[in-house]
Amino acid sequence: MTGTLNLVGYGLSAIGPAIATGMIFAAYISGVARQPEARSVLQPIAFLGFALAEALALFGLVLAFVL
Amino acid sequence: MKGEENALWSIFGYLLSGLIFWGGVGWGLDRWLGTSYLLLVGLLLGMGASLYLVWLRFGRE
Amino acid sequence: MRSLVRLSAEGEGFVPPSSNDFNLPPIFGDNAFTTKPIVMVFFSVILISIFFIAASRKAAVVPSKLQFAGESIYAFVRNDLARDVIGHEFMRFVPYLFTLFTFILTNNLFGIVPLLQFPTMSRVSFPYVLAVFTFVVFHYVGIRKQGLGKYLKDIMFMPGVPKPVYILLTPIELATFFLVRPLTLSLRLFANMFAGHLLLLVFIMGGDHLLKGVIGLKLVSPFAFAFGIGLTFFEFMVQCLQAYIFTLLTALYIAGALADEH
Repeated sequence: MTGTLNLVGYGLSAIGPAIATGMIFAAYISGVARQPEARSVLQPIAFLGFALAEALALFGLVLAFVL
Repeated sequence: MKGEENALWSIFGYLLSGLIFWGGVGWGLDRWLGTSYLLLVGLLLGMGASLYLVWLRFGRE
Repeated sequence: MRSLVRLSAEGEGFVPPSSNDFNLPPIFGDNAFTTKPIVMVFFSVILISIFFIAASRKAAVVPSKLQFAGESIYAFVRNDLARDVIGHEFMRFVPYLFTLFTFILTNNLFGIVPLLQFPTMSRVSFPYVLAVFTFVVFHYVGIRKQGLGKYLKDIMFMPGVPKPVYILLTPIELATFFLVRPLTLSLRLFANMFAGHLLLLVFIMGGDHLLKGVIGLKLVSPFAFAFGIGLTFFEFMVQCLQAYIFTLLTALYIAGALADEH
């Protein structure tokens, strides 16, 4: 078998953002379910958290191809 | 509900294109000038810029 | 993997499926335009036409089973995709969205239909062409609605940002709208179909290879086949989901081009 270890590294580094995204939206959903009127307050926060977590995952993806 | 899906896909697109564009600029400058750190600078710049863009579009109410 | 190969010593070693398995030879002689995916695309068009003509021909107030099936697919695309996303102008785009959805869905489902068993969209050129259609449609709609100058200005310049920052942000906006959107749209569909078909190949071919091995391996091979069958149902879900997502994103892009809220 041949291949590059970069992709294994990327797979490992994607675990963290994956869990983070799941936790962010779990919290967002339960927050909105308990208090639907808080949606407009929670939405930007959830999206920013998602963006921060996703940025790390994409960073890993780009570095896996570039390095 | 649909608005949230829309927002998620556009956030993904912004982050990706920020990294690709500014990372590509850094990579090209590296090739041109013979350095090796500009790629990282470009990627970080692109990530910062696209996070700022996401904040502008979705973060402020 | 290596120890498995050594255990099944008889015959040649196991050749894992690779991207070469997606390069199918021409069916009729040497003509490069009659490979299996191309024939399947034409077949899918015929199939969809027959199905919906048959479903709508004897339209009655009390629908037959066929009419009910056709109508529920149409209602799904029209109500859940077009109307909820695009808003009051949705009727203009229903034909395009409906064609897109049924075409992608049928071609994806070919991946698990016995005898055909090849998802057409795992050849990357088909998703590319579909993404080009979507690209042209949503930019055309935006330019028609808002005028070329205003449309580009809306894309390029976020309001409420100090001027020097535009150097940083404008390239990102342009790259998002003109490069990343069509590219991710097509690559998402392609990668899902490609990976799914490869996964099925690994389990079925692996099970077949185990069956040729020593007695211990023969006992294991039913599990590989069972897993392959289970994954086939999983693939069915992924194929429907990807057709839905492609159509949903097209509708979202059209809605974004129509709205002038940037």
